[in-house]
Amino acid sequence: MSKDTKSKKRKKGSLGERRKKFAWLVPLASINLTLTLLSLSMILVFVATLEQVRIGIRGALAEYFESMFGIWYYPEQFWGGEFLNAIPIPIPGGYLLGGLLIINLTAAYITRFQWTGKKMGIQLIHLGIIMLLVGQLATQAMQEESRMQINKGESSNYIERFHGVELAFSDVTDPETQRVVTIPQEIIEEGGTIRTADLPFKIQVKHFGVNCDFTVSPEGSTPAGLVKDVNRGVGQTANLSISEKEEDFSSEGLNFGYLIFELFDGTNSLGTWLTLAHPGGNHWWKESPKLSDLAFQPIRHEGKLWGVTLRSEREYLPYSIELLDVENEFYQGTEIPFNFESDIVLNLEGNQSRRALVYMNTPLRHGGKTFYQYQMNAAANYTVFQVIRNPSWLVPYIACVLVSIGLLWQFSFHLIRFLRKNSNSAQPA
Amino acid sequence: MPGSFLRAKAFLRLCIVVGSTWMLSSCGDQPEIRSYEIPSEYTGPVVSWELPEEWGENPDLSGPMAGSFHVKTDLGPVGRIGVMPFRESVSSVDVANMFGMELGQATIDEEKLKKISEIKKIGDREFEWIRISDDGHEGSTRTVLLALYRNKGETWLFPFIGDRDLIREQEQNFESFLFSTTLRAGKVEIRAKAPALPPPPTHDAHGAPTWEIPKHWVKTSASSMRLASYEVTDRNGSKLDFSVTSFPGDVGGTLANVNRWLGQIGIDPVQEADLDKYISPIVLDEKDAQLVVAEGETDSLYAAILLFEDRSWFFKITGNRELAKVEKSNFLSFLESVCFH
Repeated sequence: MSKDTKSKKRKKGSLGERRKKFAWLVPLASINLTLTLLSLSMILVFVATLEQVRIGIRGALAEYFESMFGIWYYPEQFWGGEFLNAIPIPIPGGYLLGGLLIINLTAAYITRFQWTGKKMGIQLIHLGIIMLLVGQLATQAMQEESRMQINKGESSNYIERFHGVELAFSDVTDPETQRVVTIPQEIIEEGGTIRTADLPFKIQVKHFGVNCDFTVSPEGSTPAGLVKDVNRGVGQTANLSISEKEEDFSSEGLNFGYLIFELFDGTNSLGTWLTLAHPGGNHWWKESPKLSDLAFQPIRHEGKLWGVTLRSEREYLPYSIELLDVENEFYQGTEIPFNFESDIVLNLEGNQSRRALVYMNTPLRHGGKTFYQYQMNAAANYTVFQVIRNPSWLVPYIACVLVSIGLLWQFSFHLIRFLRKNSNSAQPA
Repeated sequence: MPGSFLRAKAFLRLCIVVGSTWMLSSCGDQPEIRSYEIPSEYTGPVVSWELPEEWGENPDLSGPMAGSFHVKTDLGPVGRIGVMPFRESVSSVDVANMFGMELGQATIDEEKLKKISEIKKIGDREFEWIRISDDGHEGSTRTVLLALYRNKGETWLFPFIGDRDLIREQEQNFESFLFSTTLRAGKVEIRAKAPALPPPPTHDAHGAPTWEIPKHWVKTSASSMRLASYEVTDRNGSKLDFSVTSFPGDVGGTLANVNRWLGQIGIDPVQEADLDKYISPIVLDEKDAQLVVAEGETDSLYAAILLFEDRSWFFKITGNRELAKVEKSNFLSFLESVCFH
C-alpha cells in the first residue's frame, strides 16, 4: 500500500470518527439549514428596512434585530394590504437567526471540515465568519453609546447615555465633595417603592414614563391629571403640567422622560415632586430660568442639602477633556457640512495631558472609549462627541483578516495546482 | 433504549449550546443603585444651622430660599423664617421696601430706614436689624423682622414674618439660630423668574425667531439642519416641502444659493445681472430681506433670505407648481408673522 493511500485513509478515518463522536451535531451542520437561515436573514433585513420608515432605526433594531422574533404587519399601502394588514406575521429576530447561524457554522466546522492544507482556506473563511457573528453578538451585548458635550474653554469629565435615564440624588452639603446616589430607569417602576441605605428617605414612584409633553400652566391654575399631587419643587412653582407620550424612536426624536415621586422619612411624607429629563442633557434646563431648577431641585433633610434630578444615565471618567476651539465648515454655497473639528486637551491623571484634533472620521481613542465628532455649534461655542465603548471592536477586524487569508490561501492553492497541472501536461511525452 | 438515551443526551447538549448563546446575548451590566463621590459640582449656596427646639422646617424651598422654617405651636405651625442668599450686594432700602410694600407701608427712604433699623452684633458677625410693621391694615399686628448680613459682596437675608408678639417671643431663638448658621455662598447669581421653555438640544438657540404656521401645514421631523420642517399635501397627493434653516455667515452668498435652488426645480443657473428676475426686496420683522420666486415647469420655489446678526436665515417652500400657487399667500402670511423679538 502506498504512503498516499494510507494518509487518505487516515484522514477519512479521522473525519468519520469525528462525525461519529459528534453525531448529534450532524443535523445542525446541514447546508439546507444554512441556506434557510440566510434566506430568513434576507427577509428580516427587508422587513426591518420597511419598518424603519415607520418606527425609526432604533425601533427597528429593537423590534427585529435585538430580539428572538418580531411581529410584522403587512403594509396597508401594498397590494392586498387592506386584507393582509390585519394578520400578525412572526419574523425570526436577529438573536435567533444569528445564534442559529453560529451553531450551524460551528457544527459544520466540527463535523464536515477536514484538517488538511487543501481545505485550510475554507476553514479560515468559516472561522472568520463565526468570529464576525460572535463579535456582533458581543457588541450587541456590551457596546454602550453616550455623548459628551463641552463648552469652549471648559472641560468635562462625564459622559451621558443617549437612551435611558436615572434618578440622581446629590448631597452637596460638603463644599469639597458631592455624594451621588443614582437609581437606574430599570429599577423605577410606577407604583413601586425604592429603599436604599444610601438615602435617608424612601421614594414612592407615582408616575414614570420615558416621554411626555409638558407645558407651563398660567399661575393660579389648579394642577390636574398626572401632576395633581405635586406640591414641591419646580413642578409646583412653575405650574408644570404634563401628558404622557409614546417613546419616539426616530433619529430626530426628543424624549422628555418624567417622574413624579413622593419622599417619605419613615411614614412622614416630605412632599411630592415632578422631575423631567432633558434629552440633550439637563444643562439645557439652564436656558429657561423658570425651569432651570429641573437640573437640581433642592431638598433639605436633617441639616443636609440634597438635590434631585432625573437625567440621562451618567458615567464619570477618570480623566477630563478640555475644549480649546471649534471649527465648522460647509461646502461653499451649500448646507452640506465639509468639516467639523474640535481642538481638545485630554487631561489625564497625574497632571499628564495630550492635545488632539477630533474631526469627522478621525476620532479620539482613550481608555477603551472612542470619541467621535457628533454635533457642533460654532456660534454657541460647544461641541458634542459621540462616545462608544465597545470591548469587542477588534473582533470584526480580526475576522476580516482571517477571511482574507482564507480566500487568499484557497485561491492560491487552486492557482498553484492549476499551474502545476498545466506545466505537467505541456511537457513532451 | 440506548438510542433514546443518546437522543436525550444530544438534546441536552443542544440546550447547553443554545442557552450559552442566549446568555451571551444578555450579559450586559445588571441595573443597580449606585453611590459614589465626586468633587463638588454644585454652584449654589449651602447653609447649615442648628434649629431651636421650638422651630420646625418647611420642606418647600421654592424660589430663592435656601432654608425655610416655622414656629411650632399647639395651634400648628405659625410664622415663617427664611434664608435668602444673594450673590450681589443688595441695598437695604430695596429689601425693606420689598417687604414694606407687602405690609402696606409707604416707600421707605434712607431717613425712615434709619429709624426702623439698628446694627446687632451676634457672635463675630454684624447684622442689620430692620423691623417693619403693618401700617396698611387697621388693627393688624403683622410684623417683619429682617436680619441682613453682608460679607465680601454677598448679602444674606433672614426674614422673620409673623405676629408682633410671636416675633418678640421668638427673638432670642432667632438670634441663637443666626449665631449657629454656617454660610457658604454660591458661585452663581440666583436668577429672577422669567418664563421660557428650553430650546431643542440639536438646534441653534442663538436668536431663534418665532412664527405662525398655517394650520393645515403638517409638521415633519426637524433635523440638526432644519429648525422647522412642514409638509403641505393636496387631494391629488401633490406636495410642498417647507423648511426654516439658519447658518453662520452668508453661506456662499445670494447668487450661489438661488442658483442651487433653481437647479433643484430644473431651471438653469443665472448670472448676477439676471438675478433680479427671481429676487425682490421684502421686509421681515422690520429687517431688509430678499424674496425668491421661481416657477419651473413642474415645481416652484418661494423663499426668503435674511442676513441678520451675521447669520443667514432661509425660509423656503418648494414642490408642486400648482399647489405652490395656492399656498403662496399662506407663505407670505407666514413671512409676516416671523418675529426675532
